Amino acid sequence: MVCPLANFEEVYKTDHGAVYQCSRQNCYWLEFAGDTTAFKVGDFFGFKKKIDAIDISAMIINPSRTADFTIVMPFRTPRCFVLDINDVLSLRELLDGAKFMIELNSVVHECLKVTPNQASY
Amino acid sequence: MKDLLRLKTSLNEEIENILNAQIKVEAHSSSVYLAMSSWCDDQGYDFSSDFFSKQSEEERKHMMKLFNYVNDRGGKAISPEIANIPADFESFRSVFEQMLEQEMFVTQQFNNIADKCIKLKDFVTFQFIQWFLEEQIEEEYVARRILEMFDVIGEEGIGRWEIDKHIPKVTYGE
Repeated sequence: MVCPLANFEEVYKTDHGAVYQCSRQNCYWLEFAGDTTAFKVGDFFGFKKKIDAIDISAMIINPSRTADFTIVMPFRTPRCFVLDINDVLSLRELLDGAKFMIELNSVVHECLKVTPNQASY
Repeated sequence: MKDLLRLKTSLNEEIENILNAQIKVEAHSSSVYLAMSSWCDDQGYDFSSDFFSKQSEEERKHMMKLFNYVNDRGGKAISPEIANIPADFESFRSVFEQMLEQEMFVTQQFNNIADKCIKLKDFVTFQFIQWFLEEQIEEEYVARRILEMFDVIGEEGIGRWEIDKHIPKVTYGE
C-alpha cells in the first residue's frame, strides 16, 4: 500500500510494473507483482545492482528445482522478492528504464540551471 | 520532477565505480607490501622489511583517502575483498621489481581515472586525484632508484647486505 501522503510522479512504467517518485518523502516506490515497496534513493540503486547481479545463465543451466527461483530481500523494506527468470528479466527492464529516466531528469535539471549572464542572451 | 539523484550524490555512477575499483587496488597494494615486509624480515633484510611495512601503511592511507572522498561526495564506498596475496618471492631483487610493476600499474589506473573525469566533466574529482598523480612520481622514482642499486652495488659478497642498509636512504627530493 502506497503512503496516502505521498506526492507521486511516474518515473517509468512497463506492462509488469512501475516506478514512482515521491518528492515529499524523497523516495521511490516500486510497483511490481501486485505489491508496492518504498526505497530510499541509495537503496533503490543498491537494489538495482542486486537484480543486475543475478546470474540468469546459472539459473537456466542448473537442473535443480530450487535454481528456478531466486530470493532477494532488500534491507529496510518488509518485502521479500521471490523471482523466476521471467520476473528477473521484467524487473531488470523496469529498473533499467527507471534509472535512465532518473538520470535524464538530472541532466534536464542541469541544463535548466542557467546563470543570469547566459539568460540575457 | 525533483532531482532526488543529485540530492543524494554528486558523484556520477561511473566515477563512483572507478573510484571503488581504485580503493581495491590500493588495499591490494597495501596487502602485497605487507607480504613483502614479512618475506624480507624472514630473509634477514631488516631495513627492507621496515621499508615495506611503511609502504603498506602508506597504501592504506591512500585507500582511506579515496574511501572518505567517495562517502563525502554522497557515494557509497565499498570495503574491498582482498585475495591472492603471495607469501613467497623469488629473490630480493624480484621483490623490488614487483614493487615497481605495482606502482606503474597504480599510475596507469590513476591516468584512467583522470581520463574518465575529463570525459564526464567531473573536475572536482579530477582536482582530487591530482595529489595521487603527484604521489606516483615519488613512488616510481623510489622503486626505480632501489633497483638501480642492485646494479651499482652488485649482489655478490656483502652486496645484498649493503643494498638493504641503503634502502631507508632512498628518498625523492623533487
